[in-house]
Amino acid sequence: MIELSEQASTERFMTSRQMAWFRFRRNPAALIGATIVISVTMLAIFAPILSPSPQSAGSFVDFAHRHHPPSAEFWFGTDNVGRDIFTRVIFGYRISLSLVVGVLGFAVPFGVILGLLAGYFGGRTEFIIMRFTDVMLAIPPLAMALAITAVLSPSLVNAMIAITMLWWTWHTRLIFRIVKAQMSEDYVEAAKVAGASHAHIMFKELLPNCISAISVKISLDAGFVILFGAALSFLGLGVHPPTPDLGTMVSTGSEYLPEFWWEALMPGLAILYAILGFNLLGDGLRDMMDVEV
Amino acid sequence: MMEPILDISGLNLSFTTYGKRTQVLHDVSLRVGKGERVALIGQSGSGKTVTMRAIIGTLPIPPAKIEGGVIQFEGRDLLQMAKVERNRLKGTGISIIMQDPLLSFNPVLTIGRQMDDIVRYADVRLGSKRNSGLRKATILDTLQKVRLPDGAQIYDAYPMMLSGGMRQRVLIAMALLNKPRLLIADEPGTALDVTTQKEILKLLNQLVKEENLSLLLITHNLGVVREISDRVYVMENGHIVEEATRKDIFEQPRHAYTKKLMTSVLPLYGKRVRNFENNRQSDPKIEIQGVTKEFRGKVSFFSKKYRVVRAVDNVNLQIENGDIFGIAGESGSGKTTLAKMLLALHSPTDGQIKIDGRPLSNFSNSREFRRLIQIVYQNPGSSLNPKRTVTQALTVPLKFCGYDSTQIKSRISELLDMVDLPKSYASMYPHELSGGQKQRVAIARALSVNPKILVLDEPTSALDVLIQNTVIELLLRLREELNLTYVFISHDLSLMRNFCNRVAIMFRGQICEQGETREIFTDPQHAYTRALLSSIPVISEQEEQQKPKVTDAERQAVLASSTALK
Repeated sequence: MIELSEQASTERFMTSRQMAWFRFRRNPAALIGATIVISVTMLAIFAPILSPSPQSAGSFVDFAHRHHPPSAEFWFGTDNVGRDIFTRVIFGYRISLSLVVGVLGFAVPFGVILGLLAGYFGGRTEFIIMRFTDVMLAIPPLAMALAITAVLSPSLVNAMIAITMLWWTWHTRLIFRIVKAQMSEDYVEAAKVAGASHAHIMFKELLPNCISAISVKISLDAGFVILFGAALSFLGLGVHPPTPDLGTMVSTGSEYLPEFWWEALMPGLAILYAILGFNLLGDGLRDMMDVEV
Repeated sequence: MMEPILDISGLNLSFTTYGKRTQVLHDVSLRVGKGERVALIGQSGSGKTVTMRAIIGTLPIPPAKIEGGVIQFEGRDLLQMAKVERNRLKGTGISIIMQDPLLSFNPVLTIGRQMDDIVRYADVRLGSKRNSGLRKATILDTLQKVRLPDGAQIYDAYPMMLSGGMRQRVLIAMALLNKPRLLIADEPGTALDVTTQKEILKLLNQLVKEENLSLLLITHNLGVVREISDRVYVMENGHIVEEATRKDIFEQPRHAYTKKLMTSVLPLYGKRVRNFENNRQSDPKIEIQGVTKEFRGKVSFFSKKYRVVRAVDNVNLQIENGDIFGIAGESGSGKTTLAKMLLALHSPTDGQIKIDGRPLSNFSNSREFRRLIQIVYQNPGSSLNPKRTVTQALTVPLKFCGYDSTQIKSRISELLDMVDLPKSYASMYPHELSGGQKQRVAIARALSVNPKILVLDEPTSALDVLIQNTVIELLLRLREELNLTYVFISHDLSLMRNFCNRVAIMFRGQICEQGETREIFTDPQHAYTRALLSSIPVISEQEEQQKPKVTDAERQAVLASSTALK
């Protein structure tokens, strides 16, 4: 026999997913963020179709339209060799997003696994992993990236490697902290008593409790990876011309400041737009899933 | 009737969450007379805490909305009052004692600083000003009132340096600092051990008399109500269903819900007590021989010295097949450590544990051992992974004991049946279930691989009293059906009296007394057992009479006082 009062409390009118969506929908900043992220992604994917002059993405030269200010024909103006900046910006998003996918695709699993190991096993494992993480964190990121790209010659892949080598540390620390807190919950011990293996406890019991924090972190990270990638190519350590990269475009455009201001400003705004989108989305997800990152 | 200090009439209140409005309080009317002690009782979720928060004005608005009614304090309607004016009453007119003395302090500030802030900000609100010397004098004076003699030392202490009982006293002192006229106590002392709770209730009664206070007590514990109230309101689902004097409510409850609450409180003595007998053949299932467990912690990082804490000290126990063996003790007595050693989660520093005739060291975490002994934890909210469904939770022990997927599936539906849960619950997440249902899932998980012994670590203490009884019934039924032996760990002695056939009382790591439940409760030998039994709040005068008597001297000798510094 189950008490009536016990039954009553399971009455529900919304699932937890619906509740989370409700919170998300009520948050205008999150909605704006999501819209921006979707628009950036769409622009990047469909760049060849959407761009007004796809040839501008390559080593195209049109001296007749050099330094053309923003107009109905050239929305963001043209650059020093007459290429359409709007086209180059949306092709630039392709580079930026592939950088994000590449970096986070390696850094997140690596960082998460190390964090899980350190938090779950504790003791000596924790000491070795976490102190190594601390050492990596102590290296100034830009100096590290400079060193790596200097050795490996500047290219997109090498920039990716440089950023990845620094990025996993933050995920390790985040996951370590969450796992450490979760370890005091009885369900971990209950799983041990049930005879579960270490792998089961780490990946099936603990990892699901980290997922919301990881997704928020990824969303916030995406913006910073874009920024970091742009900074590297601004310094000439990233993608080579004529590949359209936002950082390189700002760098080249800045030579023509102030009279041809759009050449540096437009790609700069494009970076701002993407980062803003990812950060707003990340904040929205954080509020929705109620996690600390 | 006395002149009322607090008079609530027709209070209606609703919450709007996720676009849906739920009425939480329905036409609540309640009066507290001057100098009167009034208790508001009900199960969790009945609306008593919402009522309290409406009185002190700490409800978040929105989502909460007061839809009608009057809350009069000394003849003035709080709901119509300007915010500034209402703030002035905080601490000076109405004051509140928080529920959990362990969580209500800022750990990095001294007690004195935290109390000083209260006095200072009350002064600011009232527009007066006292210098720090005067404020300190007030604080020390108030600490004296709550029977904390070393006021000056406590003033400079940090919260972690005080015991739970002392922190509760300091919390009460904080509520009294600005000489309120109405004191609201939210579950006072329920977070503490019974012996400490008893002292706290005594203190509150003295203070109400001495300081000429009125008291509104919010609790779910009927035993507490009996010790500390003149009049009682019973709340169910946001309705006040009964109002009566203390005498009437315990002797002749009228409303069905009140009656149900009364019968759900387990008796300690008298005719209603259920004596549980083990009539199976004697065959020792667990033998604990001279077991000691020490925990060592380094004094500091560089030091070579260790601090040794002896959590379990030379314990000998024998648990027979079919026993429901109770291990009772207050927090820190070592009962949980003992349980963890039974499950081989800790290994004893000294001594030996045999399960089913085999020493623990012979098993070494094998499947066989997991099939012999399992555990049900205290709080199903923590022992069930929030991100895993009921099916996933139940699969773990089965999978690791070698069941294949079709066997697992049929076993899960068998298990849900066993614990009276509908099959549709298999796909639900823990947060979709109530506390009682979660605990049923936890029981099903423990039983999944057909163990012979279950360790029950306070399996009902996180549940409401009405639900607690249904879980106990379930456990009794399962013991019969599956031929189980239980090791029941608890601080709830009334429950133990009605559920166990043998008990052992643990005190500072040692077993101070063990034997047949009935004998221990009717004729306790050890002073600690007597002190413990005499502190349990009961709900009738007859039971009160039958409790063992302890002199103050005896009590002092065995109990850590809640007034002395550690």
